[in-house]
Amino acid sequence: MIELAGVTVSYRDRAVLSGIDLAIRAGERVALIGPNGAGKSTLLRVITGLVVPDEGAVNLGGDPLASLDRASIARRIAVVPQQVIVPFATRVEELVELGRLPHEDPLRGARPADRAAVASAIERVGIGHLLGRDVRELSLGERQMTLVALAVAQAAPVMILDEPTVHLDLRHQVSTMELLVDLNLRDGTTVVAVLHDLSLAAQFFPRLVLLDRGRIVADGEPLEVLSAEHIRDAFGVDPSMVRLPVGAT
Amino acid sequence: MTTNSGALAPARPSVAWVGRARRRSILLAGSGVLVLVVVACVGVAMGSVAIAPLDTLAIVTHRLFGLDLGRTWSASAETIVWDLRVPRVLTSLVVGTALAVAGATFQGLLRNPLADPYVLGTASGAALGAAIAVLLPIRMVVLGFGLLQGLAFVGALASIYTVYRLSRIGGLSPLTSLLLTGYAVGSLLAAGLATAMYLSGAALRQIFSYLMGGFDAASWPQLAGTLPLVAAGCALILVRARSLNGLLLGEETAAHLGIDVGRERAVLLALASLITAAAVAVSGLIGFVGLVVPHVVRLIVGPNARLVLPLSALGGAVLLAVADLIARSAGDIPVGIVTALIGAPFFIVLLRRARSGYEL
Amino acid sequence: MNASPLRRFLGGFHVFPSRHLPRSAPPGLRLTTLSIALLTVLAACTNGSGSLASSAVTPTVAASSTTATSAPSPSPSPSSAPAFPATLTDDEGTAVSISSEPRTIVSLTPATTETLFALGLGDRIKGKGQDVFLYPPQAKTIPDVATFDSVDVEKIVALTPDVVFAGGNFFTPPDSIARLRDLGLKVVVLYAPSVDAVYKDIQLIGQVTGRLAQANAMVDRIGAEFDKVRAAVAGLPTPRVFYELDATGAIYGPADKSFLAEMIQLAGGTPITTGATDKYDISVERLIEQDPEVILLADGPFGVTAAQVVARPGWKVMTAVKDGDIRPIDDQTVTRPGPRLYLGLALLAKTIHPEATIPSAQPIPPVP
Repeated sequence: MIELAGVTVSYRDRAVLSGIDLAIRAGERVALIGPNGAGKSTLLRVITGLVVPDEGAVNLGGDPLASLDRASIARRIAVVPQQVIVPFATRVEELVELGRLPHEDPLRGARPADRAAVASAIERVGIGHLLGRDVRELSLGERQMTLVALAVAQAAPVMILDEPTVHLDLRHQVSTMELLVDLNLRDGTTVVAVLHDLSLAAQFFPRLVLLDRGRIVADGEPLEVLSAEHIRDAFGVDPSMVRLPVGAT
Repeated sequence: MTTNSGALAPARPSVAWVGRARRRSILLAGSGVLVLVVVACVGVAMGSVAIAPLDTLAIVTHRLFGLDLGRTWSASAETIVWDLRVPRVLTSLVVGTALAVAGATFQGLLRNPLADPYVLGTASGAALGAAIAVLLPIRMVVLGFGLLQGLAFVGALASIYTVYRLSRIGGLSPLTSLLLTGYAVGSLLAAGLATAMYLSGAALRQIFSYLMGGFDAASWPQLAGTLPLVAAGCALILVRARSLNGLLLGEETAAHLGIDVGRERAVLLALASLITAAAVAVSGLIGFVGLVVPHVVRLIVGPNARLVLPLSALGGAVLLAVADLIARSAGDIPVGIVTALIGAPFFIVLLRRARSGYEL
Repeated sequence: MNASPLRRFLGGFHVFPSRHLPRSAPPGLRLTTLSIALLTVLAACTNGSGSLASSAVTPTVAASSTTATSAPSPSPSPSSAPAFPATLTDDEGTAVSISSEPRTIVSLTPATTETLFALGLGDRIKGKGQDVFLYPPQAKTIPDVATFDSVDVEKIVALTPDVVFAGGNFFTPPDSIARLRDLGLKVVVLYAPSVDAVYKDIQLIGQVTGRLAQANAMVDRIGAEFDKVRAAVAGLPTPRVFYELDATGAIYGPADKSFLAEMIQLAGGTPITTGATDKYDISVERLIEQDPEVILLADGPFGVTAAQVVARPGWKVMTAVKDGDIRPIDDQTVTRPGPRLYLGLALLAKTIHPEATIPSAQPIPPVP
């Protein structure tokens, strides 16, 4: 589904990404992990086409990314950003409705099918109790969930999330992860998430990709990737791991 | 770890809100059109010379439809009604529409609730163009537009173009760059304007009265020149409501939602500037319409540009027609003062209602 | 838009601090009056050619089909040729054709109103421009159709005037003039930057209204009164005179080759001017350097006293201040470019030469 071959991105003589080879198949659930500055966000931007690599090729669903216009990309990939600024009073459902933009009729706007998708996305993400509230008044966690609902409403085969659990409390972290698993298993959505919480990543994602200083250092199952050596090299800390009997499926 | 997912609230209310927004917008549109018609009629019937309302009606129906209502009126009454008042009222509608739609567009484009049609230096550019026109010893009239209006139009467009080109240099994000450059260029132009005014001698009064804005010079030829520009510009913006909606959460998110941000930004900027320049050329600098009307509309129907844009057009037309009516009745004070008196309190109320913190 | 030169200029142009108002005067009085005075000065000063005797007016009379008419001489016999239809050129060079003797007139300048009354046409004026110093008093009953800032086009159209007299050099907003013409009205724009131009304007008004003979006679009499005054000051020394219009911000006085400068010369003084034809303010240093022997306070009627002038920093070195030759003067009379201008000249001469005998001017009776 998503293929990166030999991707290199430099910024002012500094290599942000070097020689990235990554293939994500449809229906996979992948977590991108790594220390700050490893290039995770840049990698996401390359996948969504916001950053054009200096070297290498990116394919999306078999088509070269460069050949796709933004509307086509929007129908294939939904992105949950970490932060947005909302300049005007906006209700939760109005925000989620923005996820339907790629599908909307340019002239006539939202149709009943779109509104139904919005309603079901809100229900699916579990923020029905927030309906009618001004998005700017919600807590950080509630806002983040609203952005997830926006991406769900977008109904794209791939969902990319940039640190979706940053502001969430424990309960919501878990419920968000469960939601991602549900989307992945029930709808077949390909989920790619940048996570900073290694335990969450290990528990809910069958495949981890460890990025360090612009390179993919490890790519595979959590146990494999989260070896003490890898963690020490990438994060500079000595880990102590406790393996729990319950793992990701 | 797992959670226990409790019962989820039903999703009905979201559809209900959408229905409510639609109903509200229809209500707003309906009442807006009603007020518009009333205000337009009063505007045509009112003036410093008393003309019987039935005569006014007779003149208008005669000139519009060729009907004869069986009344007689003097030639001067017909001139006053048809050549002075009707174009004046229509011009105020057109300018009000242009300013409100431009304001809504700039607010959406720049994602800044404080944006108005003049935010990117348009006002200073138009004013400087007008001042230069007054200084030049050239007299020309095209379609009822003198050199002053022509150069005001050019000045408005030139300043936005300059701001746009300058803002693309440098590493700041495009929006921040636009805003800051607009401020800088605007200040520069204002200095140029002060110089021109200083040099203008007896013509100072003319520059001033232009700057304060008004519809005294409204005429049919001017309307014929302005209306197509404003109508076409507004229509083309309305068609792009989707892009404005997409830009609500920022340029990156807009791109993720399928909007070609670079192109849409340039097109919307150009269109909004065009209608602003046309409005400014015809009636000088009238403030607050472009700033306040979109906010009021959003308060009622939400931020969806598909509703905000057309309703702002209507709201701007109504506001300016009412303001001109008030300005004329209150002894011919400049329209800009009336819009400020109406708009400023509104604006304060809006500021107080605005919650702190726009960060998501 | 912060520009202190701008504020100074504006200060002279429009806005004066009300502390200078005498308590009994209405608040807008000083503002309007000095603005008018300044506008007149500006009008006089911005004449492009800059020569004292210039005037663009060359009235021509179009003949009717039956009789031919020669070019106008200063005093043609009253009933020698039909005056209408006539095509005239106004002071801005626009050709205006008048088809018949105007019965309904709108006058947008106070000087024109005066002239019309003097020509016996006061009852034909159906609308006038608002003004504080109206003359003659009967003019007060005429309805206002224009304020100092704006022209009420609707009211003028409703009057269906046969001719509208407007003020040139931005006195009447050019937009309004264009508007009125667009609506089919005849507008004659008058602008007199010199004494000679005032004569020509009176003649033009006479031609437009079919009272050319009377206008010429009036011009002759005004000229005779002028000659009397000039004769009276002929042998006298010509002191350096500074005519102060306003000094609350910048110091405003006559520009080079302006109307005021000409009047002062005719009244037997040497005018101190700003140094340029389009500059209306004079710096203190230049004024000190020019060293006036007489200071005339046009702002005197508004409360500026000689004592105040003496107290101004740097002014005490001027001859006029040392000798105490600071005198108030009624600016309205001196600068109104109408039929009473000779009174202004006489007043000016008397104030510059208080010891001389200036024949008191005979009021010219209006034409019956």
